Parts: sequence; structure tokens; C-alpha cells
Amino acid sequence: MKIALVSTFVPFIYGGARNIVEWLQAMLEKEGHQVERIYLPQIDAPDLLFQQMTAFRWIDLSSADRVICFRPQAHLIQHPHKILWFIHHIRSFYDLWDNDLYRGCPDDEKHRGLRAALHDADTIALREAKHIFTNSRVVSDRLKHFNGVDSEVLYPPVFSSERFHTREYNDEIVCICRLEHHKRQHLLVDAMEFTKTPVRLRLCGSSSSSHYPDELERRIAELGVGDRVTLEYRWITEEEKADYFADCLATVYLPEDEDSYGYPSIEASHSAKAIITTTDSGGVLELVQDGINGFVTEPTAERLAEVMDKLYVDRELAKQMGRNALERLDEINISWSHVLRRLLA
Amino acid sequence: MWGGAEELSVNLQKNLIIAGHDSEVLRIPFQWEPASRISSQMLMVRALELWNVDKVIALKFPAFYIRHPDKTLWLLHQYRQAYDLYDAGQTNLPPGQEGDDLRALITNADNEAFAESKRIFTNSEVTRRRLKKYNDFDATVLLPPINDPELFAGGQFGDYIFAGGRVNGMKRQHLLLEALAHTSSNVRLIIAGPPDSPADGNQLREAVERLGLGDRVKLDLRFLPRETYAEYLINAAAVAYLPFDEDSLGYVAMEAATAGKALITTSDSGGILGLVKHRETGWVAKPAAASLADVMNAVFVDQALTRSYGRSARDLWNSFEITWPKTVESLLQ
Repeated sequence: MKIALVSTFVPFIYGGARNIVEWLQAMLEKEGHQVERIYLPQIDAPDLLFQQMTAFRWIDLSSADRVICFRPQAHLIQHPHKILWFIHHIRSFYDLWDNDLYRGCPDDEKHRGLRAALHDADTIALREAKHIFTNSRVVSDRLKHFNGVDSEVLYPPVFSSERFHTREYNDEIVCICRLEHHKRQHLLVDAMEFTKTPVRLRLCGSSSSSHYPDELERRIAELGVGDRVTLEYRWITEEEKADYFADCLATVYLPEDEDSYGYPSIEASHSAKAIITTTDSGGVLELVQDGINGFVTEPTAERLAEVMDKLYVDRELAKQMGRNALERLDEINISWSHVLRRLLA
Repeated sequence: MWGGAEELSVNLQKNLIIAGHDSEVLRIPFQWEPASRISSQMLMVRALELWNVDKVIALKFPAFYIRHPDKTLWLLHQYRQAYDLYDAGQTNLPPGQEGDDLRALITNADNEAFAESKRIFTNSEVTRRRLKKYNDFDATVLLPPINDPELFAGGQFGDYIFAGGRVNGMKRQHLLLEALAHTSSNVRLIIAGPPDSPADGNQLREAVERLGLGDRVKLDLRFLPRETYAEYLINAAAVAYLPFDEDSLGYVAMEAATAGKALITTSDSGGILGLVKHRETGWVAKPAAASLADVMNAVFVDQALTRSYGRSARDLWNSFEITWPKTVESLLQ
């Protein structure tokens, strides 16, 4: 089949939104399909939104048998066999509208008008699709709430999961994701002040600026936990990541109300490691069940310290939760075979 | 579709990164049938916003319509069916007023895009001349370098003429077969490369059968690994490439010259004539079987002469000083 994968991008910004497209491309090509990947630039400036949306309406991909669209506003493309793997709206005009910090434009008549027109245009484009998949329950709920359309959750798997394996359960809880304030690594550093066991913490990742990593470093020094906390402020390689997950005691991921569970949570699950998260972390809660494949705690340093100690003291519990994490992947169908079957149905 | 322009963009990206820059390729889909949807696709490019980018290098229609304050063109293609191919009667634009309007639209939009570009380079003398003739813009020719010159060293003077690259009607591999039927029996030919369509491959197979050339021709019609392609090329006696009026020198010719092979082409082949000087670096035949057959015979009549043409082809190519570091430097001026 000739399949066009269409998404949008901001040049020189890399991340999960590209992974889902490029990994799917590799899997489809492995199955013998002809795949074209098309990334078009898209920026969210309110005054330029509709001009860019018009551009998406004008793209002619009629030579493809089907198109699969990802990041907004790729879903505006017209094609007789349009499939969406919808990963988010332009959030400032949807779920973040009521948040003055994230809306990024005034809540005035002009922008309320833009918002209404955007919702209408999106709804029309969404209804044109043969089938809508999303990357999480959270996003499906939003589609229902704001656009009144039904969708099917299709959890994005990670690439070549066989790279991830289990070697041991050491003393270290590992957090691998960008060092950003909304990923809340600072809560983990704070938790280390309250732990009663020699449990260790490793934070790895790059950052959009050195501000937050510097702050973390200061906090570690202030609290005097430097002997048990390792801060690796850099992009770590895939091999390093696989090694850390193979050896660690458990992983932790506590973003503030994020849409998806985060690829590292899945990678850790493939390594049979428990996941610690918090009650307000959003999409992670679709993966982690409290007390089964990890812990879901209140977002406070004290509560986090408790579960970290618990895993350190009870290695059998850490192993059992790790095995459950691996089983959980099958339970909610996180696999490429499932993804391909559904997208090509 | 994946062709020369895509290959060039990927190699340009690679060499920009080698030179210490961040670089991303932006591919914009364009479908030229039906002609009635050309104008909306042009507007589509114009409506896109390309932020977070210091410099844009645009390669072809309609991608070069993208708006950016620092845009340099390395022009590979205009929409030729609105220009020289229209004049040659080979256009997909509708006749009458509708077609005239589309042509005017394309010309005006092109002129605007060229005017707003900081610099304009073209990939060949032919493209430069066409730009001057139809749009009256000056440009500097910047020939695309070879991507893996190390593959084209060594080899023997073999007993065959080699024709590599994509196989289709415009590349006229069938004409080589017609000519071969007129040559003396010691002349052999290898045609190797991916056919654009199954019909293009079948046409050659049928011609070999019809002309009874089975023992003198090898057809290797598939997408070849680079090493296999290079192996064929460096062990050939001479290299033939006779596209119809192509814009650029063509990688096949540049690689043959790098390998020090005498070149065979035809007088209507376009850009490659920049590298094929008759009886200096090879032969320029008339685009007809009899004339080509004479040239193909000549390859094996005086091998010393053929070898010297090959050396001259390499010298001429080297004198152009076309390398990636120099190219990147020019584009970022």
C-alpha cells in the first residue's frame, strides 16, 4: 500500500511527536509498504493559524492510497482515506484556554472568536476522517468533550523494544526525561531529604535551557543529598538508557498533567521495572496502577520518599511490580502488531 | 517519488552538518496532475510559516515560494511545462485562456520568489540560461558535487560500454540498443538501473529479443547498490548517457568523468554537453541509431585514444573544482 504519513514540526525541535511518526514509518516499511513521510512547518501564533490551516487544505496527496495524520493541524488535509492518529489539539485554544499562564493570548472577543472558528474547522476536519485514533484516553476524552467525535485509543509503542532487558534491581531509582520544571525533577530531589534508606536517585536528560538544571544542582547541594543523587544534564544515548533500565531498582515519571505516559515509562516496563508517578500526572495514570505495576502517590516529597524506601527495602516487591509492568503492556495492547493491524484495518 | 532532487537535498543537509551547522530537509508535496490544482498548491507553499530557521536554501518549484527573510535559491527546476516544455509543445497545461492564465500566474509568482531571494544559483548552465531567457534573472551556476567520489577510482578498461541510471523513455536506453544492432559484433553493452515503470523495463527486454542482441547485451534492471553500480562503471571501456535535453550535467556523467571514462552522448542531451567535448572527452553523436553506432564502434577501434578521452574527461571535471565544502561555502555566502 502507498501510505503518506503527515505531521507538522517546528524546525530543529526534536521529540516524541517525531518518534511516533518515524517509528511507524520504519515498521510499515518493514511490512513492505511504500511510505512517504511529510513534515510541514506549523506554529501556533493565533494571527497566523488560519492562513496555515488553509495551506493544509490545499495539499494534494491523492497519489497515496491512505494518509495517516499526526500533530496538528495535519488533520485538516483532505483525502478520501484519511486516518488520524491524533496526539493533541492546539492546546492553548482547547484544554489550556482557562489557564492564563498557558493560553498565550488574551481572553478577549477577538481570540474567543478565533477559538470558536478553530473548534468548528477542527470538528469538520475530524469528521472527514475514516477513523480517529488517539495516543491516550486523555486525548480521546478531549475530542469527545470539545469536538463531539468518538475515537479509539491506540497507545504508541517504543521502537525495537527487544533492546530493553533486565539485569538486576540495584539501589537506584532512575528518571530519564528532559530536565524541565513541569517534569518536576525538583520534587524527587526534595524527596531524597526524607528517605530513610540508602536508596539512590539518578536524573538524566537535556533541557531547553540551563536554568532548571542549575536550580536542581543548587537544590541538591543545599539539601546535602549529593552523595545519593546523580544529575546527568545531557542527552543520554539509547544504549546508556537501556543499561540504566536494565540495572535500576525502579523508574519514576511525574510530569504535571501530561497527555501521554511518556516513552521512558514503556521502556522501563519492557525492562520489568516498577514505575512511580503522582496522582496529577495525567496520561501516566492510564499505564500505572497503584500498588500493582508501581505507585501512584500524592505529589509531595514526603509521599514520594515513602514509596522509594518501600521499593529499596522490599526487593521482592520491586521485582513483582516490575513483572506486572511488563504484563501491563500486553493488557492495554502496547505493541506494533496491534498498531499496524488497527491503522491498516 | 524519490529522485535526484531528494538525493541532493539529503547530501546538502549532510554536508551542512559536516560544516558545523544544524540542518533539516523540508519536503513539500506537489502533484502536477490535474493542472487545475497547480495554483492552489502554489498558494499552499506561500501560506506556510517557517520559523526558527536562520537561512533557507530552496531547490525547486513550488518549494521556492516559501517565505523567509534570508532565502537563497539553488534552482534545480522551474515548472518547465510553463516555460521551455510549453514552447516545445510538451505541456500538461490546458489550451486557450485557462492555460495562458496559469502560465502567467506561474511566471509572476516565480518572478516574485526570485526577486525576494538573496542569491540565486542554478545547478546547470541550461537552467541558468532558461532563467535568464524566461524570467530575466541573473544567476550563478553551482554544479552539484558527487557524493561518494572515492567509489569511482581504480578499475579496468573492460570490453563493454556502460549505461547506468534510471531507465525510462526520456533517458533513451532503447536508442542504444537500436544503435548496437548497427555496430560490429565486438561491441558489448551493459544497461543497469531501475526502470521507472515495468513497461520501461519490458521495452528494453523486447528490443534485445527483436534485434537478436542477447549475447552482446546485459540488462541489470533494478535499483543497484552503489558499490555494484560503481563496479560496472569503473570497469567499462566508455560510458553512454543520452537523456533528452536534461537540465544538469547528470550524476552518471560526473561519476564517469571522475572514473576517467570516455563519454558518449547526443547533441540534444542538454546539460551533459558541458562535460562531453566531441573528440576531446568523448563523442557527441546525432540522436539516431546510425550516428551512435559509429561512435560505439570507435570506442574499441583505438583503445589508446579512448583512454586518452577518458583522462581528458577527468581533467575537465577536476578543473571545475566541484566539491561539497566549496558548494556549502557558496550557498551560505
